[in-house]
Order: sequence, then structure tokens, then C-alpha cells
Amino acid sequence: MRREPAWRVFANEYNSSSAVIRGSGERSPSYVITPLGAKVNRLFVVGVLTDVESLAGENELIRAHVSDPTGVYTLYSGQFQPEVTATLLNVDTPSFIAFVGKVRIFEPEEGVLYLSVRPESVYEVNSSARDRWILETCRNTWERINAMREALSLSKASVYDLTKLGYSRDLAEGVIKAVEFYKNIDLNKYLDILEEALSYLIPEEKEVPKEVEEKDEREMDEIENTVLEVIKEIEGDKGAQWDNIIEKCSQMGIDRDVVEEAISSLLDKGLIYEPVLGTIKTT
Amino acid sequence: MEDDISSYIDEIISALGDDLELSREDIEKEFRRFLEYGVPPDQAKKSIVKKFGKDKLNRKLLKDIVPNERNLNLICKIITKNVKEVNIRGENRVIYYGLIADESGILPFTSWKSSFPAEKGDVVEIRNAYSREWQGNVQINIGERTGIKKLEEDKLPDISQEPRKCKIIDIYNTFGPIEIKAKILSISEKEIEIDGVKRKVFSGILADETGKAQFTAWHDFDLKEEDVIRVSGCYAKFWKGIPQIVFDERATLEKLTEDLEVGSPVLPLHRLVDMRGGIDVTTEGTVIEIKDRSGYIERCPECNRLMRNGECRIHGKVKGVADLRLKMVVDDGSAGIGVIANREITEKLIGKTLEECKKIVENEGEEKLLEEIKETLLTKKLRLRGNALGDEFGTTLIAKDAEIIEEDIKKGAEELLQLLEGER
Repeated sequence: MRREPAWRVFANEYNSSSAVIRGSGERSPSYVITPLGAKVNRLFVVGVLTDVESLAGENELIRAHVSDPTGVYTLYSGQFQPEVTATLLNVDTPSFIAFVGKVRIFEPEEGVLYLSVRPESVYEVNSSARDRWILETCRNTWERINAMREALSLSKASVYDLTKLGYSRDLAEGVIKAVEFYKNIDLNKYLDILEEALSYLIPEEKEVPKEVEEKDEREMDEIENTVLEVIKEIEGDKGAQWDNIIEKCSQMGIDRDVVEEAISSLLDKGLIYEPVLGTIKTT
Repeated sequence: MEDDISSYIDEIISALGDDLELSREDIEKEFRRFLEYGVPPDQAKKSIVKKFGKDKLNRKLLKDIVPNERNLNLICKIITKNVKEVNIRGENRVIYYGLIADESGILPFTSWKSSFPAEKGDVVEIRNAYSREWQGNVQINIGERTGIKKLEEDKLPDISQEPRKCKIIDIYNTFGPIEIKAKILSISEKEIEIDGVKRKVFSGILADETGKAQFTAWHDFDLKEEDVIRVSGCYAKFWKGIPQIVFDERATLEKLTEDLEVGSPVLPLHRLVDMRGGIDVTTEGTVIEIKDRSGYIERCPECNRLMRNGECRIHGKVKGVADLRLKMVVDDGSAGIGVIANREITEKLIGKTLEECKKIVENEGEEKLLEEIKETLLTKKLRLRGNALGDEFGTTLIAKDAEIIEEDIKKGAEELLQLLEGER
């Protein structure tokens, strides 16, 4: 049995899907067909874990949300994925996580579709992993937009036509299915989403109270650098203890709150990480 | 009226075609009979065409067939015929597959008929077949309602085909004889015995700007490393996706004086998975999974097998040889492959030597090392180069080289944004 690709799809596109192919049994998997023709059985996503809640029993079923620049993925994990469930419960929110997961389709009644994801593996990552994912997902979304355009421009496009143009077989099949299923595919909506996601990666100059902000930012940068130096100094092989960092920094005249803010900013930037709770290491 | 009859007869004859065994007089006699019975002339014409034309085949040439055509009638030669047992909905069935050719081209076929009444080399008439697309190519399907009839050999014009010019990357989708231009990268000679006769064979690796392939020459063309050749009338074979180009004295081989650039262009993963495998291929993708048995391992000093709990499966308790390896899944959104990396590449990718890894394992355990490897590599994009092998579970690349691609995200985003704005 072939391995299903791990599609890069923004939450907005995934959640806008209303077409599914239901597999019967283990050897024929189920797929979600997105409006741009991704034929998704498996996904790879990097985003921000915003909340985790236990739905039943002793963490027999948990629900989590992961947000990307366009929307929110809903994850369900249960006792059959104990490692994934444990990781999700142990990670602080908010934090950056990556997951590989399978589509989960719930259709309580005809025409009502709830799409979520059953993660196969989950791990904490830093902000640069998130940025890489956004760029890659933008590129793959752009490819789907172009494949969809080709399909719509041909009078009766077939999977064969699209594969001859160089698109993967899975994408070609998905696009043809999407053209059949969705009546009006609004490509402009997805171009807008793409533009928004890309601008996320190109920080614009901030306009309002420029001077103050710059000054604040400079100060914060300095403090972060100091905190980073302190961590490097005391981390050794096993990492720096949270309390030790605070203590050392307060000796240097930096407030506890400011240090904590600096640490969380450094974590976000991926310059440090927290291998075990309360222990900080530089990357 | 006589003029009218004559023009009807003309139409009937042209509809029935040239190789008709009836004379014009016979047709005219028949036509008049219909008229005597009071059948309108148009209806009479249709009836006669139907009556005498039922054996006439509305034939289609292989080169004109596209996927999803129905009611195809072909005259072709069975080039190869293989048999395979498959399980369909719990039922074991025998299917036949192979290649068929006519004067216009060559295509693969699959037959779902319970018996296949023709052998390799037979010229046959196939009625009511249909076409499908299979891995980017047209395939002829033969079902229960398809008729197969053996014909005389001379019913088919000469099908010896002109070899098709192609690049190495294209041989995956080309059937029949090919012509390639390539550079010999390595060659060795050996002698083998077939049916008591000793024969020399020459084999090695050849390449062009699109990729590499193994080759086997059953004839001494006096080839040397670095030779640039044009060889026409060779055939491609595959083992687990590894291409092999085979030729013998029937091929035309020409040594060229020009040089030839050889290369290994980056293949999207879906392309590599479609090809199943390849020699010295380059690809890129994101690490989405590190398998548990990655990292620090010990191998048996006798047989190099992986040891578990200080024991070799064959040689029992031995002092293991320390080693590093990676087993991971790399995926670019279009497809995923398995990747295996040896010690040298693992050290390069994780930025730690075997000694350093061993220390971590001794002090903090295997889990700790694996955790660090995962932190370093998961979600990173890699460029990989090596041989890839495909089987029913997918494609696995044995890395000969690998590096982490560090990309300027902001620049990449700006470039894509520009492209996007240009299209609006």
C-alpha cells in the first residue's frame, strides 16, 4: 500500500471543504477534497497550539486547536495515541507545534460536515519552523491555484491532461473532483488568503508611535541579549534552571517579569528551548 | 433513377472499403432486390452496408488512442504476455498483461478475461476494448466482453519501429526500442555462460543531463569510460525502479566527439515515487518523521547486523561496533519517501560525531540522543542525493549525500508575492 502524501494546506482551505471520498475498510482510505483540489488523507501542519481540553474520562479523548495565519485546525486525540495525547497535554499554550495527522470526517446528517484531524505525531517547534511551513504552504497553495486555473480553462479537463502538465497524480485527481463538486470556485478568495499569509512573513514597518516603539524594542533587544548571555553562561550540558536565570538576572538589575517576558520572546524566536519544564537551553 | 442507383452503389462501396470480395454487380443486384421489396433507397443502402460490412473492422491505430475511450477495435501484435494472480474482493483471479504494437506505436495492455486466446508473437484482432490511463500512460484494457481473434501474420503491416529518441529521465514512460545519447561513467567486463556458450558482457553506468542508468551491452563495442555515445535500438528494463538500458549487436552504436554534460536535476518527490526509483537521483523535502530505531546503534562485528540488547540474532553475545544511522520520512507535500542515512551523513546532519553521540547515550540514555536528533532535524528541509528503490510499500532513498537547506524565508515570500501580484 502506498504512502499518502502529507499535504500542506492552510486551515481556511481545509475547513472550507465540503467534498469527501469515503473509503471502505483499511485498504481504501478516506479523502477530503478541498476547493482547490487537494486530495487530503494526511496533513503536515506547523502552527500555534492555542488550547487543549479533555472531553471524556481520564484523557480518553482530548480536543486541541492549532491556529495558522488563515484559520484554526481542530485536533482530536484519544487513548489509542497515548504519546500524542500526552504531548498535547504537556505543552504550554500558546506554543508552536508541528503535527502530522489523518483527516477525520464527521457527518452527523446528510450535508453537514465537520472536519478535524487525528494527529499521528506531534512535537514542539520554534518560530522559524512555523515560518518555513507558511512559505511552503503558500507555494503549494499557489500550485493548486494554477492547476485549478488550467482545469477551468480547458473545456473538459481530465486527470491525464493535468498530469501531462506536470502536476502530481494526486493533485490532478483532486482538482478534477473539485471541479465536478464545487460549483463556483472563488480563486480570488485564495489569492487574498495567500497574500495575507505571505505578508505575515514580510513584517511591515510599524507606523504608530514609531519612536516610542523603536526605543522599547531596542531596550527589549538589549535585555533579551543579556538574558541569552546569562543562559549560555550557566546552561552547561544539562541546561539552565529557570530559577537560576531569574536570580542571576535580578542581580544584574532586571525585574523578574521582564526576564520572563524576555525568555518567552527568546523561546518564540527559537533562540532557546525548554527540553524539560523549568530547564532552558540555547539552540 | 439509374443515375441515382449508381451513386447509391458508389456510396455503399466506399462505406464497405476496398478489400471487399463482392463485385459492383453483386451489390447492384442486391440493392435492386431491396428496392423491389419497396424498401426506400436510403434504408436499402444502410441495410446492405450492415449486411456485408459486419466483418469490417472500424480500426483505430494505437498512436491515436487517448485514455477513457470505449469500443476500440485494434489489429496488433502481442509483443509480450505475462500472467499474474491477483486478489479481487477476496477472489483469486488470473490476469494477463504485456505490450501490444501496431505500425503506429506500442502500448501496455491488461486483460481481465478468464482466458487469453493468443500468445506472444501472434497478430490479433481485438474488438471492443477500452482505454485507461495508468501512471501517466495510455493502457489498453481487455474485459470479458472484448473479442480476441488470431489473424494471419500478414494482416499487419511491418511493425518494426523506429527507435524513439529520448533522455534517460523519459525512458520510464517509453515503450519499445529507444535511442539515447549518453556518456559512459563506468564500465566493467565479465564473461558468462549461457547454454554452454561463453559470452562477454559489458556493464556499467551511463548518464546524460537528466539522469543516470545502468547499462548492459551483449556485444563488444569497444566502450571506454568517458566515451560519449549515441545508441539506437536499445531497450529499457527496470528493477525496483532502477533503470537498466540493454543493447546488443543489433543496436547501432556511434561514438561522438562532442562532450556531454551529465547531471542529477532535482526531482519533485511525486515524480520520484512515480518512477519508483533511480540511480543517483536528487530530491528535496521536509523531515516529518524520525523513526525510532535511528541514532546510536551497535552492529555485530561478524555480520554487521543490528544488535538488540547486546546480542546479535546470529552470533549471540558479542562486543558490538558503534554506529550511527537515520531512518526518516521526507515529504514535500506531493509525496513522501523513506530515507536511510549512514554514519557519515548522520554526523553531518545532526552536527555531532559518533563519539559525542556515544557519550550522550552513556550519560543520558538512547532516548535523550533521539530527542536531540528529532529537535535538530524535524521540520527541516533537506536536499538529498542517492539511489532510490521502490517496492509495494513505497520508495526509499539511500542517501549518498544530504544537507539541510537554509532558506531566506523573507526573500522567498517576497518573490512569491511578486509572482502573485503579477497574475492579478
